[in-house]
Amino acid sequence: MKHSTRRSVPMSVDQAGGTSATVSRPARRRAALAVAAAGALTLSACGLGGGGGSSAEGEEGEGDEGPVTIGISLPLTGDFSEPGKGVQRGYEAWAEYTNANGGLLGRDVELIIYDDQSNADRVASDYEKLINQDQVDIVVGPFSTRLVVPAAQVAQDYGFLFVEPAGAAEEVFTQGFDNLFYAAPAIANDHYNYLAEHILAMPEGERPTTAAYASMDDPFAQGTAYGLKEKLEEGGIETVADEVYPPNTTDFSSIANKIANTDADILVGGTQYQDAVNLIVALQQLDYQPRLAAFSTAPTNPEFPEAIGQTEGILSPTGYTPDADYESNAQFVDFYTEQHGNPPNEDEANAWTTMQVVAAAAEANDCADPSPECQQSMIDWLRENTVDTVVGPLSWDAEGRPQAAHLVQQWQDGEIKIVLPEDASDAELSYPKQDW
Amino acid sequence: MTALITQAVILGILLGGLYALLAAGLTLYFGVMRVVMIAHSAFLILAAYLAWAFNRATGIDPLFSLVATVPLFFLLGVVMQRFLLSRLKPATLTMMSVLLTFAIALIIEGMLGFVWTGTQRRISLSYSTASLEVFGANIAVVKLVAFGLAAVSLLALYLLMKATSFGQALRATIQHKEAAALLGIDTEKVAGYGFGLGLATAAIGGTALALDSTIYPSLHWHWIGPLMAIIVVGGLGSIPGAAIAALVLGLSQSLLQIPLGTTWAQTVFYLALFITLMVRPQGFFGGRLAQRF
Repeated sequence: MKHSTRRSVPMSVDQAGGTSATVSRPARRRAALAVAAAGALTLSACGLGGGGGSSAEGEEGEGDEGPVTIGISLPLTGDFSEPGKGVQRGYEAWAEYTNANGGLLGRDVELIIYDDQSNADRVASDYEKLINQDQVDIVVGPFSTRLVVPAAQVAQDYGFLFVEPAGAAEEVFTQGFDNLFYAAPAIANDHYNYLAEHILAMPEGERPTTAAYASMDDPFAQGTAYGLKEKLEEGGIETVADEVYPPNTTDFSSIANKIANTDADILVGGTQYQDAVNLIVALQQLDYQPRLAAFSTAPTNPEFPEAIGQTEGILSPTGYTPDADYESNAQFVDFYTEQHGNPPNEDEANAWTTMQVVAAAAEANDCADPSPECQQSMIDWLRENTVDTVVGPLSWDAEGRPQAAHLVQQWQDGEIKIVLPEDASDAELSYPKQDW
Repeated sequence: MTALITQAVILGILLGGLYALLAAGLTLYFGVMRVVMIAHSAFLILAAYLAWAFNRATGIDPLFSLVATVPLFFLLGVVMQRFLLSRLKPATLTMMSVLLTFAIALIIEGMLGFVWTGTQRRISLSYSTASLEVFGANIAVVKLVAFGLAAVSLLALYLLMKATSFGQALRATIQHKEAAALLGIDTEKVAGYGFGLGLATAAIGGTALALDSTIYPSLHWHWIGPLMAIIVVGGLGSIPGAAIAALVLGLSQSLLQIPLGTTWAQTVFYLALFITLMVRPQGFFGGRLAQRF
């Protein structure tokens, strides 16, 4: 499966009307209800299949209200089409899973998905349409900061709760939204928190003293690198290079030249994919060997090892791993793998997490409708409570920033292993990094 | 500091050489036909993809894909000129060629995405990170190969233009189409071959590009701007002009990167473009061609 390329090509140019994906399975629902009633189905604590309990009581009552409609606009074509489709797979998998397990509040779930073509104007009008014309009960977010901000604004104007799977940059949380919740462990600036702690805790003689940063001029990519930079600088690690390049940069040899010239101990890349690969190869050509190298996004791309040859020791933060032993994660991974033949990635997981958060809020308030009372009660509930999800327990501050940190992974023996935090790790962080 | 600058100069020259190769075809089309070929960079990426696919399928060095792609692109160029560009009205040719080739660029981009998806690809070569050390600076082997390709093909193109009768006919067509026709040159045919030749350089350029960069279908939009700037600065229609401008701009970009950073160093192309248009609109190295517009 192709995943996490951040730039891609529009393959079909127009899907003017959008697509409406209905995932409604009355027959299977009845079967599932029977199972639920028999008590043979263990309900997950996080509200995944939580509809089962109330659905038994609500079979005559709420069951008659028809399905819970959830409105989404996603970048299915254009710049973000690859991650956008990943998010779509996650949402659809959740809807199918939920419908097969008793629905949400005893009602089936129906998704209405539009294609915003990665266009920020289009995404706003999509959400207007979802709320006004389609009269959906709930809206959830699109992919990426650039689209989340205009979408959240529309939701805010109509008093809707807005849980989103992919708007991690700081600017999402500084717009004054009081309806927004980011359904992932950490915002961009906190991705490297565990790594910063680890580096600063090293004994004096061993600890690296200089660091070089290279980052794409993009709120997410830059956020990850600068979050780490801030913490390392506070800890006394000197910044010897700080390069920012525009997304259309084609030649990385000059940046590599400046970085190699500083011979920094630590190299941090606020990268997406092709920029990381081009930069690493350019650095290899100049024979620069950092003692520690960390890049966002790129190292988990399936094409990465082949593209750069020597990956040993490269670090990367991640918000999700299929191996995590959170309670609902195993169900998610099993269900998804059975459906698609491969385990889910971060985009699918974030979509699933988003739905778990919304479902938990709906269950807790026993409502899923567009009325301001219902939406506000869900918003208030999420402010106060912690939700168990496939990426771990999540809680939020007043602006919607999740209060956890990302796991840190490292390439070791040709595999990606979780190395930080120590209590969740598969292996110890290896330092200094092997030459590349 | 000296090491930094020596390295930057070497990288700049290597980069300039690549720019020269990539821009050569672009200036040729304009010279021969007054065509602004927006799709040139899309063909570069197409050639890069063909080299990648060839390498992936056979495991043989991507340079060998040139054996097939160069003649293929030449033919494509002749066909494109004969059946599409020559159908445009002469009065609006330059303007309409922008539209037409823009459409072709979109078609190529869409096709690449359709066939090979938007996933970013890179040819994995055993020597992709190898480098030679000269005066304390590192010269990457792949960059040297790309530079060599540029030097050889530009030299071949130059000799073809100067020393063969086809080259004379081509230059005559560039200088004055009507006069060339009066002398008995079949300018339509020559223009077709000229266009094919331009596209053949795209095959070589794209392969050189693929050796040392990650490719994806929409990459061509990042290239067309700087390449257009190079041919205007060098003088539209002049291959040596484009080559000199490419080297100067590549070197300036690489050196300016040190004090200014990547974002501002990139603007050197557009700054050079503005200055050229203000001071010497026909270009710094080219002939009198552009003056006639």
